[in-house]
Amino acid sequence: MTEEIQVHLPAIEKHVEHLRQGFSYWPTLENGMPPALGDYRWPAELILSTWYQAGTGEPPVNELEYRSGDSGGGFDKLDFKFLPEGDQLPPDAEVDLAIPLNSSGFGREIEIAVPWYGGGMSFGSVSEQVMLARSMAAKEWGTFTCTGEGGYPDSLVEFKDHIITQIATGMFGVREETIQHAPIVEFKYAQGAKPGLGGHLLGDKTTVTVAKMRESVPWVSLFSPFPFHSVYSVEDHRKHVDWVKTINPEALVSVKVSTPTDVDMVAVGSFYAGAHIVHLDGSYGGTGAAPEIAKKNIAMPIEFAIPKVHKYLQSENIRDEITVMASGGVRTAYDIAKAIALGADGVVLGTAELIAIGCTRCSNCERGRGCPFGLTTTDPELSLLIDPQWGAKRISNLNASYAKQLRDILRRLGLKSIRDLRGRTDLLVYLNT
Amino acid sequence: MATTNSYQRYHIDTIPTPDFVPWPNKFDVKVNRPQLAKLLISEIIHLKGDMKAVTSRPCMYGTFSGPIGGFAPRPEHCVGCLRCTVQHPKMVTITRNADRERLGDSYFTSAYVDAVSYEADTGSIPVKGAGYRGKFGGEGWDGMWTDMSEIVRPTRDGIHGREFISTVVDIGEKPSYLIFNDNGEITSAKPRILSIPVPFIYDAPPASAASSTLNEILARAASETQTLAVMPIDGDEWSVVSDQLPVQSIVPLIKLGDESTIEHLGFTPSMVEIDISDDPNSNFQNLISSIQSQFPDTIIAVRLPYDDPDNLLKLYEIGVRVFHLFADFHGRGQDGRFVLDLIREAHLTFVEAGTRDEVTLIGSGGIIAAEHVPKAIITGLDLIALDTPLLVALQAQFEGDCANRKTSQFAMPKNLPLDWGIQRLKNLTATWRDQLLEILGAMGLREVRRLRGEIGRAMFQVDLEREAFAEIEGYLVEAGD
Repeated sequence: MTEEIQVHLPAIEKHVEHLRQGFSYWPTLENGMPPALGDYRWPAELILSTWYQAGTGEPPVNELEYRSGDSGGGFDKLDFKFLPEGDQLPPDAEVDLAIPLNSSGFGREIEIAVPWYGGGMSFGSVSEQVMLARSMAAKEWGTFTCTGEGGYPDSLVEFKDHIITQIATGMFGVREETIQHAPIVEFKYAQGAKPGLGGHLLGDKTTVTVAKMRESVPWVSLFSPFPFHSVYSVEDHRKHVDWVKTINPEALVSVKVSTPTDVDMVAVGSFYAGAHIVHLDGSYGGTGAAPEIAKKNIAMPIEFAIPKVHKYLQSENIRDEITVMASGGVRTAYDIAKAIALGADGVVLGTAELIAIGCTRCSNCERGRGCPFGLTTTDPELSLLIDPQWGAKRISNLNASYAKQLRDILRRLGLKSIRDLRGRTDLLVYLNT
Repeated sequence: MATTNSYQRYHIDTIPTPDFVPWPNKFDVKVNRPQLAKLLISEIIHLKGDMKAVTSRPCMYGTFSGPIGGFAPRPEHCVGCLRCTVQHPKMVTITRNADRERLGDSYFTSAYVDAVSYEADTGSIPVKGAGYRGKFGGEGWDGMWTDMSEIVRPTRDGIHGREFISTVVDIGEKPSYLIFNDNGEITSAKPRILSIPVPFIYDAPPASAASSTLNEILARAASETQTLAVMPIDGDEWSVVSDQLPVQSIVPLIKLGDESTIEHLGFTPSMVEIDISDDPNSNFQNLISSIQSQFPDTIIAVRLPYDDPDNLLKLYEIGVRVFHLFADFHGRGQDGRFVLDLIREAHLTFVEAGTRDEVTLIGSGGIIAAEHVPKAIITGLDLIALDTPLLVALQAQFEGDCANRKTSQFAMPKNLPLDWGIQRLKNLTATWRDQLLEILGAMGLREVRRLRGEIGRAMFQVDLEREAFAEIEGYLVEAGD
């Protein structure tokens, strides 16, 4: 946080106070729902219920919907076939939510206490305050967050055991020490919101500090081209893995890919190239700016990609040797459980965390100074709207609510471990309403 | 021989061209003034007269930055971020403006109107944060996704500009072989063929929108983007401006019975379109011969509704090689099927006859967004004739539901400025081409011609859902498999 800041702190404090009051007040529904809030994927109720959970650590007790959206397909068309009450596990039954991230049988064993970690959001696309909040929450919950492709601010180093270093095509901010810090290194080959299009940080957001971190020129747009121009085959990818292993032999390697027709083959290729984790990023998620045409129209939604990959890895007899993480439109605890029932080991969260700390999904992330709530901005004044401690508490509370709901789902399905839910499509029901 | 200096990369100059007619604001902003007054008084006391803090407003976009701040909000600045209403739930209410949401019609919904307006205004690809906001899938175009390649991508255009993706398409006859004599000279008829740098032309406007000004806008925009504009040449709209138009871009549209108009054309068109939609089975070979004798190098296209496959093959047999097939403005054919199925049927008709590479299929109707272009080409078209998006770019208002091509009523803005209209269409053309490049780039394709009919480059909801959910209880009930 070295940017020269000329802000009027009493004004910031005033707005922070009002905002926090608003995040608590709206989910009470005393004033109804904000009429212009929400969309099909994240209806107003889902946003407000996420604010509620971020404030309390519990699912809402009023009528607010907190399980699914209104998109008319995918996760919103699925539900669980819960056991009759008498066959369910007792309320005090111990239910394990931990999943291993290295199933290869070789190298460092890493387990996360909950079946999710935070997705990559770069410094520049979000503020350092947001990165810190996510890192603190990851540490508290024994899981991870990811740097995205924008460098590794010094303030994050104390959380390095819970931070995944991302390497993407622009190599922004990638240094030997940031790879050495990392328990997990993620190669981002593609991202769901803009599959095949690369990344783009607009010039307005490339402040002096951001440019320094990315070793680039201030106020100039930065592109992460697509694809890695050094990778045209699985063998080339193996070369990347070897390179990381040379710098940090202990690191696990994750491969983040989008969801093309042959996503199953991509997953198998990633496995044979030495990846411990294949991270499937479906087309309906993403927090960063992306061309509208890409979000809806390129590559398949994650709900279709997960079973495709899961079944193919099973048919190749390697399913138990690689971890499959899924992202791109995972909004609720129920979505997490559905993704796992479809065949993922765990999920990667992004938008849900940002909503927990105030995002209204207004989609103005790239307009002018950036996010008016201080999230996806590098504006020195706006980013002060987020206090990292407050943000970490909100995300932790959301995690607590998710964990509680997941335990409840598993208990009602008669399962003692989240690992037992993987691929259990027999526990799902397709809603014909 | 071409030299390095002769190479010119295709480019459309885009210039911001804001709306000519003010359209309704996207959001309405209501402020409870007594509440605001109370808040101000309380803040003056609480903040000890720190007026900089007191007058600091939650809106970054200027909604409350008028002379008397929130007492007279300026909704035209509101972007719907909702920060004001989050901070002050009982004082500020933001609603979506119903007048804005009424723009367009039941097919060309206000969301599509917003997208086309933005594209025509800015010349930029719509880019937003925070992920996808719409329905999961749906019928027609919404149940279709395009593929991408995870690593194979030597091509990249638009953003980086290092490499080249071609959006050139060919219109005309494409015989499968040529005949040479012993001297190596071509003895078969030379194919009439024309290449344009974008896979879209501008279709003739419906009667309710037609005007000489609109004709001139279409013709000049087509000329500046190096494409074509189809237009009738038998009315006042034509005669007023015919001697001022860039004729090389005009495709005269001739109806059966209006053959004489071609004799008085006054220029040699690169393409002529014969509208046989009133009588698809009519004998118009004489007309073709007449046009061909007058303009031997002119390409002749036949315009007709998406029709039964047998009729297309009959037309092929009598020598038609360029087909302009149209659905209604909502993308429905005469039998009610959606245009996606109709395109596929037409394409496969020629594939199965072994003649697909010899014909050009131009399609219009129901293609109203940039993403529909690659999807229509994947389904089987060579190129698109843009219709209602051009009108929306020029801020036409839909009067009721506008599906029928003959009876739909579009109200064009009065006194359309020529330069404004031309630039709006250039901006739209540029952004649709740029978005096509994004799709092609994601697939790793170097040229749009290779996309035609490549159904393997698409994924359909019905197939993906069956593959993913077939084992799930309840699925088969709805799918009816």
